Amino acid sequence: MADRGGKGRGLIKDNLSGRGGSGDLALMALVFGLSLFGMMMLYSASNYSAEREYGDAFLFVKKQLPGFSLGTLLMLFLWRYPYQKLAKFKYVFLAVSVVCLCLVFVPGIGIETLGSRRWIGFSAVSFQPSEIAKFSFILFSAHHMAENKEKMGTLKGILPVALAGGAICLLIILEPNMSITVCVGLLMLGMLFVGGCRMRHFAMILLPALALIPVLIIIEPYRLLRLSAFLDPWSSPRNEGYQLIQSLYGLGGGGLFGVGLFNSRQKFDFLPFSESDFIFSIIGEELGLFGCLLLICAFIFYIYRGIKIAVNADTLFGCYLASGIVMIVAIQVIINIAVVTGSIPPTGLPLPFISYGGSSLMMFMGASGVLLSISRKG
Amino acid sequence: MRQYTPYDLKKRLFAFAAGITFLFLCLFGRLVYVQLIMGRQLQTKAAEQWARDLPVAAPRGLILDKNGKVLAGNSTVYTVYVRPREVDDKRLLSGELSGILGIDAEELFQKLSKNVSEITVYKKATREQANSIIAVGRKGVYLSMDIERVYPYGELASQLLGYISVDNRGQAGTEKFYDKFLKGIDGKILSESDLTGNRLEGTPQHYIPPINGLNVKLTIDYTIQSIAENAMQQAMLIFKPIAARALVMDPKTGEILAMVNKPGFDLNDIPRDDLDALNKYSRNSLVIDIYEPGSTFKIFTVATNLNEYLKGNKKAFSPNHIFSGGRTRVVDGRIIKCWSNHAGGKHSNQNLSLALNNSCNPIFVDVALSLGKETFYDYVEAFGFGKVTGIDFLGEGTGMIVPQNYAMAGDLARMGFGQSIAVSPLQLAAAASAAVNGGRLMQPYLVSEITTKDGLVAQRFYSTMVGNPISPEASRMVAEMLEGAVSQGSGRNAYIEGFRVGGKTGTAQKFENGRLAVGKNVSSFIGFFPANDPQYLALVIIDEPVGQSYGSVVAAPFAKQIFEQIIYYKDLKPVS
Repeated sequence: MADRGGKGRGLIKDNLSGRGGSGDLALMALVFGLSLFGMMMLYSASNYSAEREYGDAFLFVKKQLPGFSLGTLLMLFLWRYPYQKLAKFKYVFLAVSVVCLCLVFVPGIGIETLGSRRWIGFSAVSFQPSEIAKFSFILFSAHHMAENKEKMGTLKGILPVALAGGAICLLIILEPNMSITVCVGLLMLGMLFVGGCRMRHFAMILLPALALIPVLIIIEPYRLLRLSAFLDPWSSPRNEGYQLIQSLYGLGGGGLFGVGLFNSRQKFDFLPFSESDFIFSIIGEELGLFGCLLLICAFIFYIYRGIKIAVNADTLFGCYLASGIVMIVAIQVIINIAVVTGSIPPTGLPLPFISYGGSSLMMFMGASGVLLSISRKG
Repeated sequence: MRQYTPYDLKKRLFAFAAGITFLFLCLFGRLVYVQLIMGRQLQTKAAEQWARDLPVAAPRGLILDKNGKVLAGNSTVYTVYVRPREVDDKRLLSGELSGILGIDAEELFQKLSKNVSEITVYKKATREQANSIIAVGRKGVYLSMDIERVYPYGELASQLLGYISVDNRGQAGTEKFYDKFLKGIDGKILSESDLTGNRLEGTPQHYIPPINGLNVKLTIDYTIQSIAENAMQQAMLIFKPIAARALVMDPKTGEILAMVNKPGFDLNDIPRDDLDALNKYSRNSLVIDIYEPGSTFKIFTVATNLNEYLKGNKKAFSPNHIFSGGRTRVVDGRIIKCWSNHAGGKHSNQNLSLALNNSCNPIFVDVALSLGKETFYDYVEAFGFGKVTGIDFLGEGTGMIVPQNYAMAGDLARMGFGQSIAVSPLQLAAAASAAVNGGRLMQPYLVSEITTKDGLVAQRFYSTMVGNPISPEASRMVAEMLEGAVSQGSGRNAYIEGFRVGGKTGTAQKFENGRLAVGKNVSSFIGFFPANDPQYLALVIIDEPVGQSYGSVVAAPFAKQIFEQIIYYKDLKPVS
């Protein structure tokens, strides 16, 4: 079966280097490019409020730097590290993720902000366990599915994946964090789809998950308000609809070519979370439809290269692993832009590589390192 | 694909890639819609929240007296702000500002130490204080200019001038009636700002200058107003009434020269938090309120009779007719008495002129009844009673007259000497002017000109004749008889040698809850001079004087005081 080093036999014409090579250096350049562009936009989106609130225009950029540095180290390390060896850590990572997700609820370790417990750590060092959990799940399910490829057509075969995904979803929804829960849920479905799950089994998982949505809305009525705000933000311009309206003002203000880099008007405290979940609105305002299109193309390029790596992976584990990484990037990019453009109800999810958030940036860079490792068939 | 799978992995990866591509296309479509199609509309809406327009208050027009003296003006005050982050030495600055502004240094230091972007340190700082702050020149200190309404004479003509609201809109009096001229047009500073309204550095500002309000020139003469104010202040001290009011006007033109309601209030210190007090003291009773005039109304009974007599009406009495000397008249079965007991030959052999001198009620009953309801009511209306005079002031009282259809002989008889009728003081003064000025009813007015800041006249108001109740000859006779009432009759306390003062006293009863309020009177005097060519007419009303009640004693001396001081002020020469 193995056809190592063969050229041009994958789905996509293979021009990647072989085992032990450098891997997809274009992808690496893209990751650095996206991250640095992200830091620049982060500065632009936050310099005014950072100066006013904390007296340091570069505050958010400075706080993002450790994430970028660690992310770079992690990416370079994983690039050179044979990805197959990651398989042996799959239970460790999964266990660590679950423990960390539980620690969120422990007073003194878990940090509560805005009514949610999403962080653990201490004043200087803190991170979101859900960021680790996403990738632990990808690692676990990719390896499980590769090892049990013959059983994936059965319920028994998909059960461990569904259980692991379900447990992580449950812990995250308890924080509560609806958006990451949806992310992990979609990721799980995607993994099962790529892993060869039968369509009726697929439906058996999907339908109950859909049925849960009304339940979640009833538990937290603010979600219904958000839903109505999404349908007509101008009906409550000062409350639920405020953020979406401000986001649209940013995008609309940009027009075709934008108002120019650093020239956003919405960043002057008008658009909340302009440096994190809504940074795409500032990008749209400063760089216009043209800039948005370029950024989307960069993400599409990332996804394209990722799928190509999956297709050409030397092992099924590598294929699934690459697919999972591509999926989580795609899911987050699509949901984030959909929220910012008012295409789906608002929910807070960072834009990979761009939004403010050290753990997010670090993990995406690390995951890209794994992709690179797969590309060099390590 | 390097490894076997029991399903078509390629297909699934393709399906996945196709799904993502589709979603990205949808998002791109949405972006085109938001950024290009909705773009302009969104930009317009967003621009509204980005720009802050700071209003620049237009300086309010001045209120001037007839000689151009400022009765309501403006002064510039300053608000002092500090932006703590820009301050180098907060301790030093607190000390300096406390020295200039007279505020507590420690308290200010505490305020400056808080982590806020801007604090207001002091409001209404003077120009001198502002200049001192500028001279010290510390970083982080900002001044903004405001305009404050100032009334240089405090209580003078307070009800007439009125006052403004905290947002500079006329709220009462002339300030309100002429607000549309006085207010001007506010300017604006348009600037780019953040969410909380802080101006963004380095952005352009657009200044739309305000347009000054127009000045309003009153018919009031500051000096005559002051004379009347002083007289009424004295009346308040001597007779301790609940109110003392005086109105001085030019009987030929209708110009109001003075309008005094005591007690008043300091327009620079308005009791805004005590609405009852504010309503009470700011009420221009001379225009708004009505009262039973009493004997001053006899002027119109006489005027009606003389005008009808000259027209040949047989029901009117000749000036030489000698009336019956009885003390009482019985009308509709009720007895009407004279205020005097008629003992010892008093009030006997009276003609109309003597009856006026004595203010003998029965004679006026005879005149009113003889003339009859229709004739009498015609003249009441012709003299302007029962309807507004049309003065340029809000809330004018119309008075109360028994409707002609319902008026009994008793009502008519009492109206003959000023009871069973209520009038506003302004109506009475305007009607009395008509009775003595040759028979022309002039519309009273308070404002003669609207002028620009540079003195150009934007609008001029002229005196207006609104009726002609009696003939010049009848008017001459009325004036002559009223001159007699001062020189020889009840008004002798207003007599000034050589200036031919005419006038009539009045002492009206007050009613409370429909019953006669014993011991409570409204004492009044209406006078004018010179009788042959009236230049000044004054109405003095003392409401509930303590100790004395007759208008001849309580009100007439103050009319005399006012006239004497006008004579001195205008340097008038005796006529005979």
